[in-house]
Amino acid sequence: MSNTLRSRLTPYLFLLPALLFMATFTLYPLASVGYLSFTEYNILRPAEPVGLANYQRLLGDGVFWLSLRNSFTYLLVTPVIIVSAIALAIIVNRPLLGIGVFRALYYIPVITGAVAVGIAWQFLFDGSGGPINGMLLSAGVIEKPIIFLTEPGWTLPIAMMMTTWMGVGYYMVVFLAGLQSIPEDLYDAARIDGCNEFQKHWHVSVPGLRPSIVFVAVISSLSALKVFDEIYVLTNGTGGILNSGSTMVFYLWKQAFRLQNVGYASAIAMVLLVITLTFSIINVRMLERGER
Amino acid sequence: MSTVAEPMPTGRTRSVRPAWTRNLFWYGLLLLASIVTVLPFLWLLMTALKGPSDAVFGFPPQFLPREPTLANFTRVWEQLPIWRFFLNSLFVAALTVTLNVTVSSLAAYPLAKMNFPGREVIFYLLLATLIVPAELTFIPGYILAVQVFQYYDTLWALIFPSVFSAFNIFLLRQAYKTVPNDLIDAARIDGANELRIWWSVLTPTIRPSLATAAVFTAVTSWNALLWPSLMLRTRELYTLPVGLMALRGMFTADFRLIAAGAVMVIIPILIAFIFAQRYFVAGLSGAVKG
Repeated sequence: MSNTLRSRLTPYLFLLPALLFMATFTLYPLASVGYLSFTEYNILRPAEPVGLANYQRLLGDGVFWLSLRNSFTYLLVTPVIIVSAIALAIIVNRPLLGIGVFRALYYIPVITGAVAVGIAWQFLFDGSGGPINGMLLSAGVIEKPIIFLTEPGWTLPIAMMMTTWMGVGYYMVVFLAGLQSIPEDLYDAARIDGCNEFQKHWHVSVPGLRPSIVFVAVISSLSALKVFDEIYVLTNGTGGILNSGSTMVFYLWKQAFRLQNVGYASAIAMVLLVITLTFSIINVRMLERGER
Repeated sequence: MSTVAEPMPTGRTRSVRPAWTRNLFWYGLLLLASIVTVLPFLWLLMTALKGPSDAVFGFPPQFLPREPTLANFTRVWEQLPIWRFFLNSLFVAALTVTLNVTVSSLAAYPLAKMNFPGREVIFYLLLATLIVPAELTFIPGYILAVQVFQYYDTLWALIFPSVFSAFNIFLLRQAYKTVPNDLIDAARIDGANELRIWWSVLTPTIRPSLATAAVFTAVTSWNALLWPSLMLRTRELYTLPVGLMALRGMFTADFRLIAAGAVMVIIPILIAFIFAQRYFVAGLSGAVKG
């Protein structure tokens, strides 16, 4: 009797630790942030319910709309990442001598971490004599150095370039695995049909990589929507001149932990949650259509 | 590599060029891409090696130091407890990985191999949390850390919130599914209990997936910036990314020192990568299918 009870309980006991941690550090916080978004709260005094006031304030907050727009603009990194990662995967898929070394070299930006990379990028893009300005000057593209890091129009593009640069190696590996699962005779058939190198990849590799492309699109767009580190590091925690580089998570962080507007920041979090969920549902729909 | 069947340059007129010139073209591309990925780091290293009379910024840019010196490294080493930051990062990563992988593989086993009421619900609940950005939980997480668990400004604050990972649970569930049921049934007939089956029958067979989960968790923990910078106030408790941010704030006047600090922070993860490279790369294909 007790034996069957035990065996019935077994799966739940295995799941218990994970479910406890999930409840404490994911589910409870989500419920809590939902509640806080209807309050005014600054950690020191107890939360005071204020109804929809925080959401009303969002509507008239220019920086919020700018951050929202920036987060959506940030999604442009996804197609760039997909195209460059596929190209790179095709290149490193050749059985050349020393190819493993090159693969490893492309992976280094993935593991080095945003702070060190951000420091390198601030240096490269420095306005008073960084290498990028130096090269552009000597190539005659520009007449005088561009002050990339304080120019509002450049904050977001540079952060996006940094995200792409840090991500391509990772996604290259995903596509490489995808490429290696494409049967070789498909390429042979393409060659017999008279495809050149480019056509061969366009007609065989790209369709064959479809599952990987969907995977990368989902993962990289979700992480683009919640970008923080790049902005934080590149702008030294300011978000750029006139908040030009502010994104949803950055603005959330600033309101919650710099300005102590915890209730207001929670409302921003809820908006981001709704956007992420909507986005994921669209992604899942696309996945389902792909499988049919 | 499965693509050994590289097309031999036969018959077709386009491929008459000798193999080495074709390869030269590909090596050219490979080299170009390596310049893009590696040059920023090399420049950082060169800057860290520059002496006081070498220009860090200027037109035209100067790449090589004229009088290479290690003085920048020793100065950073003396002024900041980099070693301490490294140990903190190591401690946090090691504990996070151990707890996370254990908890995840415990949860993955019944999801892969048992039938029980509520399985679907739990499965979809986990799937849903996969979507939720962790950043959204930081506000209540902060309040929990200060008011409930009271681990604010300790390293535990970085470990406990990172123990649960739906991604790892799915990765390991996928691996457990490939283990033949006969193996489990045989162990059951031998009288082994489920915990024992999980530990000594299943776990050894999915070692590569465990290693992949461990490596991903370790890299995420090692590079985490936002949450650690919210939780840590005492300088002796900083992890490497938080410490590097502080270093950059301290030495704004001299970029050579910032570069030296960045190089010192990069070295440990680079060494780890060289040794565990195949685990960084392996298992990703499994993640796509899963």
